[in-house]
Amino acid sequence: MSKFTRETHTINGVKTVVHTAGSGEPVVFFHGGGTIDGFDFAEAWTDRFRVIVPYHPGFGESDDDPTYTEMHDYVMHYLELFDAMRLDRFNLVGLSFGGYLAAKFACEHGHRVKKLGLIAPAGMIDPLNPMLDILAIPGEEVPGLLVSDFEVLKRRLPEKPDLDFIGDRYREATTLARLLWERPGDPKFMRYLHRLKMPTMIVWGDEDKVIPVQQTETWRKFIPNADIRVFKGAGHLVHLERREAVEAVGRFLS
Amino acid sequence: MSGAVRFNAMHFMPYVHLPENHKDYKSLWVSFPNKYFDPEKGHALYERYLSELVLADRLGFDAIVVNEHHNTVYSMMATPNLIAAALVPQVKNARICVWGTPPNFMLPNRLAEEYAILDVMSKGRLEIALPLGTGMEYWSNPVNPATAREKFKESLKIMLQAWTEDGPTTHYGTHYTYRFLNPWPRPFQRPHPPCYIVGTGSPETIEIAAELGFGYASVFVTQQRARELNETLRQRASQYGHTLRPDQLPLQSWVYVAETQERAEKEYIEHLQRFFEIYARTTPQFLAPPGYLSVDQLKQRAAMADKMHGGFDFDAVSKSFFIAVGTPEKVANQLGEWGQLMKTNHFNCVMHIADMPHWKTVKNLTLMAEEVFPRLRARSAQPALRAAAE
Repeated sequence: MSKFTRETHTINGVKTVVHTAGSGEPVVFFHGGGTIDGFDFAEAWTDRFRVIVPYHPGFGESDDDPTYTEMHDYVMHYLELFDAMRLDRFNLVGLSFGGYLAAKFACEHGHRVKKLGLIAPAGMIDPLNPMLDILAIPGEEVPGLLVSDFEVLKRRLPEKPDLDFIGDRYREATTLARLLWERPGDPKFMRYLHRLKMPTMIVWGDEDKVIPVQQTETWRKFIPNADIRVFKGAGHLVHLERREAVEAVGRFLS
Repeated sequence: MSGAVRFNAMHFMPYVHLPENHKDYKSLWVSFPNKYFDPEKGHALYERYLSELVLADRLGFDAIVVNEHHNTVYSMMATPNLIAAALVPQVKNARICVWGTPPNFMLPNRLAEEYAILDVMSKGRLEIALPLGTGMEYWSNPVNPATAREKFKESLKIMLQAWTEDGPTTHYGTHYTYRFLNPWPRPFQRPHPPCYIVGTGSPETIEIAAELGFGYASVFVTQQRARELNETLRQRASQYGHTLRPDQLPLQSWVYVAETQERAEKEYIEHLQRFFEIYARTTPQFLAPPGYLSVDQLKQRAAMADKMHGGFDFDAVSKSFFIAVGTPEKVANQLGEWGQLMKTNHFNCVMHIADMPHWKTVKNLTLMAEEVFPRLRARSAQPALRAAAE
């Protein structure tokens, strides 16, 4: 039984579903560019924190807004959601696409982010270690690329993809395509990373097949003070494959 | 135009010299390596295919139809306006249908200009279809499938404005800004060449055709779906105050005519089979890039794909699509029956398919023109049938 309770906010007309659990200092978690991995891993933080997991518009239980065509639309969405939730200052953790969004939010609104955790974040343009163009990968091949040990993810997937599952994945890919089809990377993203002055931790799996672990070195160049942890034998969804990764982020935030 | 029965000769101009290992590739679209294109062989094919379309004109086909696809052996017409331009001086009587270039892959003013040039050069014989483009084309062109439909609508608006309003005009939209929309030349036909929307009948494209009063050229739809599509379109168009003429709803049919039924099937079926199994072979991913379809449409199509299984079955394919194969009498009867069923007098006939050799194409075109046309034209002159078609 999940500890999380579900609440709904309407932000500029977009129904936004937020799951929260625990008490203490707030930790907001931004999920990645898909929602098959779930967010139950974050229960590990609920003994110390009030964990807040919103679904981005166009993903999971939140509604679509086809007018969201750039990353900045999401930054503005969250600015307004956090205002509505009276979250003034909080810890922010983002995974993959959510890491990109979290870093972008923190670059622009750093005074609201106490500590920043990035789990295999996307967004970095690193020509020598490029991110896999996930939009070009056939849907049925994607789950296998997300983890090192497929068993970890398998139990979260239907035995045979049914129409609802296929439709849900197509919807989330559509949301990503609106943002990233023409330009998967924004060259200006890196320009402002120096604004990330808050304590920052970056975690990565050394067998990440989506974003190469070598990108940790590139992040280090932009955020020299970041605490970077690499976990052996884990893939892109390092938080599912290594409990220690989740614990490390929890300790960092404490 | 709306009264007389009309026959088009449609050609895909496929590249037929496939490597033996083509089955190793999951798709003959988008990602099939272009190293397999041999320009010497390509040159010979262009010469041959153009001669077949010119022959169709000489034989009395009412129109020649070309269209656009990218990154595929299925079609060597990545830019069909070039093919149309090559046809203009050779095709003396038939209308020339570019069905068509997806406006999303061109600047709309430039597409309006190219069509105007073809229309003026051909002295008003151009017809245009405006496709969104298949899903495959969005993997091959740098255009966002998730915003394709709104961009498509904006492009149409710009093209129509360029043709129907005296320039210079302006356009300030989501995807394009025109400070001086004033293209030269303007089309020969006023206000513009006949336009069709082309597609497989998604509710969104039907609505666009209905609103603009355009025809709709359905492609790769089953008989049942085509009938529903035409019915929906007529209803929706009337909501916008448009009454569609029968000729605005062309019926796409695959045709092969021979001396006997047995001979027709023997000469044709192998090519039709290779068309479905080889040339049209692609992947679900390429068919539906993210955002190209609504989630509901995607699920409907995924459900349909699940139901289709087993190998190629000519009888089953013949029953579900408009495939007329046989003697002139049989083909004439078949087309006549479908024309009544679909309430149209406009037959868009695919006269060459897959790796059909030149001699069969010439034979097919000739028997169709000399043996089938007179039968159907005589019938369409009968008032009762004409009334039914209208």
